Amino acid sequence: MPNDLDRPFYDACNEDRLVLQHCAACNRFQFPPRAMCPRCGNPALAWRQLAGRGRIQSRVVVYDSPVSTLIPDQPFNVATISLEEEPELTMLSHLPGVPVDKVPIGAAVEVFFEATPATGQKVPEWRLVS
Amino acid sequence: MAFLISFDIDGTMEFGDPPGGVTVEMVRRAQELGFLIGSCSDRFPSAQRALWEAREVKVDFVAAKHMLPDIRSRFEATRYLHIGDRDLDQQLAEQAGFEFFWDHEGVSEPWLAWLEDHGE
Amino acid sequence: MAIPIAPYAWHRNREGLGIWEGRGRVVATGVGTSPTARRWDEKPESSMGALTILAIRRAIEDAGITPDEIDGIVLTPESTTGVSNDPNAPAPAGWDSVFKMADFPQAGITRGDIDWILLNMPELKNVEFKMNGPVCMSVAFTTAAEAVSRGLAKTCLVVRGWHNLAGRYYVGQGAAALDTAAGPGKYGSIFGMPACATTAMVFEEYCNKYGKSHEMMAPFIVEERRNGLMNPDGYYTQHRPEMITVDDYLSGRWIAKPANIYDNDLPIQAALAVIFTTPQLAAHHKQKPVYILNHAQTRPELQGAVPTLNEWERASDRMGRMLYEGAGIGPEDVSFENMYDGFTLFHQFHLEGLRFASRGEKRGYALDLYQTDISIEGPNPVSPSGGNNGNGRTRWWNHRDCILQIQGRSPSQITRPAEIGISGAHVPNFCDALVWAASAD
Repeated sequence: MPNDLDRPFYDACNEDRLVLQHCAACNRFQFPPRAMCPRCGNPALAWRQLAGRGRIQSRVVVYDSPVSTLIPDQPFNVATISLEEEPELTMLSHLPGVPVDKVPIGAAVEVFFEATPATGQKVPEWRLVS
Repeated sequence: MAFLISFDIDGTMEFGDPPGGVTVEMVRRAQELGFLIGSCSDRFPSAQRALWEAREVKVDFVAAKHMLPDIRSRFEATRYLHIGDRDLDQQLAEQAGFEFFWDHEGVSEPWLAWLEDHGE
Repeated sequence: MAIPIAPYAWHRNREGLGIWEGRGRVVATGVGTSPTARRWDEKPESSMGALTILAIRRAIEDAGITPDEIDGIVLTPESTTGVSNDPNAPAPAGWDSVFKMADFPQAGITRGDIDWILLNMPELKNVEFKMNGPVCMSVAFTTAAEAVSRGLAKTCLVVRGWHNLAGRYYVGQGAAALDTAAGPGKYGSIFGMPACATTAMVFEEYCNKYGKSHEMMAPFIVEERRNGLMNPDGYYTQHRPEMITVDDYLSGRWIAKPANIYDNDLPIQAALAVIFTTPQLAAHHKQKPVYILNHAQTRPELQGAVPTLNEWERASDRMGRMLYEGAGIGPEDVSFENMYDGFTLFHQFHLEGLRFASRGEKRGYALDLYQTDISIEGPNPVSPSGGNNGNGRTRWWNHRDCILQIQGRSPSQITRPAEIGISGAHVPNFCDALVWAASAD
C-alpha cells in the first residue's frame, strides 16, 4: 500500500521503472524510502532511475513463513540483490524461475515488475540474466 | 493391516507446551488396539523419547516434525496420520502423504473408526 | 508526564572519544531475577508486571540495601518483540483489584512503565530520576551507566520485563494475516521472511566468503545449552531440562535455511532488575561491585532492505574499537564475552568484532573457534551465560552473567579468572554494549 513518501517508487514500478532516493551530499542511494538521508540528515532527496541490474548477494530458503498468504508456497527462495550502481544497497527477491535452494550466488540479475494479486500494484522482482 | 499415528507434542498433547487436548490415555488406547504410535515434534528427538518414557509409553518412533517422509518410508502401514495444531503440521503431513487432523479433532479419537472401516 | 530517553550526547557511537568520562565511576551490585514461564496464564500474580516487581525486590535484597535508597529507575518499556496488545486495550478482569492502574491499561501487562512500578511499589519512595532505555535492555544499561556517572542518580534500578501471550509469537498474526502490506515493514514482509531470515542471509554470505558451514555452529549451540542448564533461574532448567545433542541440532527443521529451529530462541516471560551505584556507596552493599569501564553504540546504516555482511562486519569492528578505546583495554584483556545470541547465527559477528580469542585473525575465525574448547572450563569461554539459546528469550541473560561472573557467583562460573567481560545486544548494526571489570585499575 503506497503512502506519500514512497508513492514515487511505486508509481515508477507501475511504469516498469526502478527509481530510488538519492542523496547528492553523500552521493548515495537508499532503500526503502525515508524522509531524509540517514547518514547526513539531508531531506532533499531526489528520485533517480537505475539501470535495474544487479547480482545475487545471498539467499535464504523460507520453510516457515509468518505470512499466512505465503505459507502454501513454502519452501521458497528469498535472495538479496546487490545493485550495480550501489553494491552496498540490497533489495529482496523471490527469484521467480529459480528452483528452490538452487540460487546461484553472484549471478547477474535484472529487474522486472510483477503485479501483486490483492491490489494490482506492481513491485520489483529480479530474474537471472540469461 | 497397520495404521500409524504421529502426534505433534506442543499444542497437541496434554503434556505439551502449550498443553493440547490429546491425552496419554488416548495414545495408550490406540497402541493397545495395534496402532503404530509416536511423535513428530519440534522438541529434540532425545527429549521426545524422555517425555514418553516419563509417561511409561513405549513409542514406535520419535522424529523431528519435518521427518514425516522418513517415518513413512520406515514403517509399512495402510494409513498414516499426523495430528498437530499448526498450519505447518498440516502442510508437512500432506507433503509426506499423511492424513491430517487438527489437535481439536484429535480429542474425539477419530482414528478408532478406522478399525471399523477396515473391518478390524 | 512523558518519561524521557537518554539524550544523544550520551551515546558513544564513534571513535576518537578517548577514555569514557564515567570509567570506574559506576558499579553494578545487586541482581534480581524473576521466575520464568513459557506464556502468561492471564493471572495478575504471574504477569510481566508482577515478575518485574519481584525482580526489583530481589535485586534490592541481593544488594543488601533498603528500598528508600533507590533514587533512580531506568526501564525498557517494550516487553516483547512479538505479539502484544494495544496499550489502551482493557486489562483482564480482576487486574485492578491486584494492581493500581497507571494511565494506560496495559501497563504491567504488555508494556513496562516506571510510573506503574512506583504506584505498585510504595516502598520506592525516593525515586527522583526516571528514564526509559527503549527497545533493548542494553540501552537501559548504558543509559543508567551514564546517569549514575553524571550524578543524576546515586542508586539506580535498571529493569526489564518480558511478556509472552498465548498463541504464536509472529506467525499469521496481525499484519502477517493480511493480503496487503502497509507501513515500514512492507518492503520486507511481502517476501514472507521470518524474523531470523535477515540474520540467516548475512550468515550465508559469511559462510560463502570464508568457506564455513552451518554444521560448524553445533558445538556453540551445545555449549550454550550446557551453560544455560547450570543456571537455576533459566527457563530450560526450570521447565524443560533437556540437553541438546549435535545430532539434534543438525537434524533441526529449517526455518529460513541456513537458520534452523534451534538457531532461534524461545519466547518466555521473565524479568530482571540490577542495581547500579557509585563505588563509594557500593562499599555498604552486600555484593562485590562490578565496574563499568565503558559503553558504546552502533546503529544501522539504513541503506538497503537488509544489511550486508560488510555492514555487519564494519559495525561490529567499530564496536570493538570503540569499547576498547573508551575502556583503555585491548582484546587480550578480555576474560570472556557474553554477546547476544538471540539468533545464534549472528553471535560470531559480535565475537569477531571484539577479536575475542583471535590469534591474529580479524574475521572469519569464529566458527573455527567454536570447534575448540569454548567451555567455561576452557581458555576461551564463549557465551558462558548460555545466552537466550540456553535460557530463553530475554536479551539480558548475557548482561546479568557478566556481573555474576566478575562477582564470582555465576552458576556457570568460568574457571579462568573473570576480570573483564563484555556484553551487548542485539544485532551487530544495532548494538549497545558494555565493558564490565573487577576493578577500575
